[in-house]
Amino acid sequence: MNTNLKISNVTKIYPGCVANDNVSLEFNSGKIYALLGENGAGKSTLVKILSGVIIPDEGKIYLNENKLELNSPLDAKKNDIGMVFQHFNLFETLSVFENLIIDSDEQREGLREKIDTIMKKYNFSIDLDIPILNLSAGQKQKVEIIRCLIRNPKVLIMDEPTSVLTEQETSELFLSLKKFSEEGILIIYITHKLKEVMQLCDEVAVMRRGKLVSVSEIKNENIESLAKKMVGQNLKTIKKKKAKTSSDQLIKIKNLNFTSEDPFETNLMDINFSVNRGECLGIAGISGNGQSELFQVLSGEIISEKNSIEFNDNYIGDLSPQERREYLMAFSPEDRLEQAAIPQMKIFENVALNNFKSSNFFNNGLINENKIKEHSKKIISDFNVNTDNIELKSQFLSGGNLQKLIIGRELITSPDLLICFNPTWGLDVGAINYIHETLIKINEQNKSIILISTDTDELLKLSDKISVIHKGKLSKIMNAEEVTSEKLGILMGGAN
Amino acid sequence: MIIDINFIGLIIASIMASAVPLILASCGELITERSGVLNLGVEGMMIIGAISGFALMTVTGSLIIAIFGAMLAGVLISTIFAFLTQTLITNHVATGLALTIFGIGISAMIGKNFVGIPGKEFPVFFEGLKDTIPLLGPILFGHSIVFYFAFALPFITSYFLKKTKIGLIVRAVGDSPESASNQGINVRLVRYACILYGGAMSGLAGAYLSMIYTPQWIENMTGGRGWIALALVVFSTWNPIKILIGAMIFGGLTIIQFHMQAIGVRIPVQFLTALPYIVTIIVLVVISRDSRKIRLSTPSSLGKSFHKDN
Repeated sequence: MNTNLKISNVTKIYPGCVANDNVSLEFNSGKIYALLGENGAGKSTLVKILSGVIIPDEGKIYLNENKLELNSPLDAKKNDIGMVFQHFNLFETLSVFENLIIDSDEQREGLREKIDTIMKKYNFSIDLDIPILNLSAGQKQKVEIIRCLIRNPKVLIMDEPTSVLTEQETSELFLSLKKFSEEGILIIYITHKLKEVMQLCDEVAVMRRGKLVSVSEIKNENIESLAKKMVGQNLKTIKKKKAKTSSDQLIKIKNLNFTSEDPFETNLMDINFSVNRGECLGIAGISGNGQSELFQVLSGEIISEKNSIEFNDNYIGDLSPQERREYLMAFSPEDRLEQAAIPQMKIFENVALNNFKSSNFFNNGLINENKIKEHSKKIISDFNVNTDNIELKSQFLSGGNLQKLIIGRELITSPDLLICFNPTWGLDVGAINYIHETLIKINEQNKSIILISTDTDELLKLSDKISVIHKGKLSKIMNAEEVTSEKLGILMGGAN
Repeated sequence: MIIDINFIGLIIASIMASAVPLILASCGELITERSGVLNLGVEGMMIIGAISGFALMTVTGSLIIAIFGAMLAGVLISTIFAFLTQTLITNHVATGLALTIFGIGISAMIGKNFVGIPGKEFPVFFEGLKDTIPLLGPILFGHSIVFYFAFALPFITSYFLKKTKIGLIVRAVGDSPESASNQGINVRLVRYACILYGGAMSGLAGAYLSMIYTPQWIENMTGGRGWIALALVVFSTWNPIKILIGAMIFGGLTIIQFHMQAIGVRIPVQFLTALPYIVTIIVLVVISRDSRKIRLSTPSSLGKSFHKDN
């Protein structure tokens, strides 16, 4: 039974932006298709049209020669099109089973059996009766996939599925997708990660600025050719020079423990490490293994024992983030719009939030707006933030620009240590490159970095030393040259 | 001093009776809030229910028309709220406050002609059985249909939310309207229904006050009970059974402090009057401390407008 999906002349226009410009594509089951493009290229809009979330201005969609009327997500479901969104569409406080039964017409017992069969077949193991918020990102994604599979879909669309997954979880996902494809499900895989396209897919369609740039078979492409099509220019690849070995210790963490009252947080157990000047320490791990707690302890959002953190010969474990900044530490948290910046506030107001004493942003309790604006303009031009309007609300900046602004805000004080947590999460290749260059530059200026990241490639590229966090415990610290991504993967899974 | 055991039964029954309007309004508001809508207009909807019930009873003479009319009045006024917050995407808090002010004003206007008119007697059930069992007799028997309904409602609400598909959909919408919408659930429809249901229950709570509890119309007769009902929903962490406990404590202390004032206990009156509020909140906070359960039962999207973009 073959499935043929045809997109014909689809156009979707938003005020000030053509998200899809006359896009036509054809897919056949038995193959895995990649839809490749940078953030904002229009991939997500296109698949949201396929799943009925967005209604196109023009164009038609055919499934097996039948024209589809996709006016709501229900229509897509009825026509056997399943979609796993980049941002999960799950109900955090409901149990896994409740999440699955909510859009199913089946009875409880029948559905349970069906889910068990699916889980056995694809080797998933998820407790159906715990709330979604207790699951890891990988497990959440499996729930989404199960939700699609229950309906025996003809088409399965995956929107940037690996952005929250670890190496292991990613390869598990790829195995499952290949299995689905063999069973006759048409798979459309949306991504901006070139490596994955090469690994997984049979055919690739590249989009740029709302337009379809090319459709080709993977065997005729390589990473460089795809990158060129996606970005529209050649990307220079950056490499880190080996750091000058210095023995000048900057920060030392000794017997650091953190026990949380919140059952959804991870406890940190006996953390010990030190970072020298000019060095980048990478901390790898599957998300939810204590990274965010470690970041908070290091940044001072969680106060610990005074002696547990020694920075520049001062004990600072009991200081707040503000006080730590005065000692020349800087922080770039994971969630750009929740923790690093306030979305409804203007760019320059967000810059003022990082209020260190010498900045003179405030005079006797009054805001020194000119000073802040001047400072913001400097950040915008120094760090290549693509806007000239510092009155713009931060929520309207793209992820890449916002991250540049945040890193810029932190670095303009020329701190001795920058602690960042998933700094390139969800960014496109251009922005990632820029952030990586910036981080390398910091090390070259003999400043240090603690890089907590779930992206192993990034860690291997930027770190001098690497450790892995698993269930709140750090592995021994290894030299980056001796580490491979396989080895990291094994440690991340908790093995020795 | 010999304490008559039936007298204790009567006191408990009177405590339960005073808890009825709180339970009704809270359980209604709980459903509204579980769908992610914060309706601060409970007090306004209650008072509209109170005057509508009393006026319909006086004019038509039919208790059934009056009770259902009061619920319908609650539905109608909450429709205004639903239209504003769900269709015109206004702010929940401001709209709810406006609704209360509107309700109090319009009820006073309509009520002008009904001041001083005596109410009607409302039929009660099992009156004859009251004296058959000591203590329990007065508690269990001799109450109106609304009374029995109110004490069943928390359990019905709990069952509805936990066990039924529609209850699940209500919780899902309150958890994440975006996800629900992407799953093909009509968020606006669900929220309209929940708001209207909350209106009906508030209307019934008001009618209970003006037709059964104190059968007459007095201006502003809800006296802040709508606000207490709102507080109960939050402090019970959206759990209907805890609403029942909270309403009983509040009702109980209100009655007991009256008696204490009457006996002349040497505690400042102001403190006694404040006591029910303080104790209810403390007790509910203590029994709802579990941060995990709070996280699981708090509707994440509470008070946030949802606008579907295409």
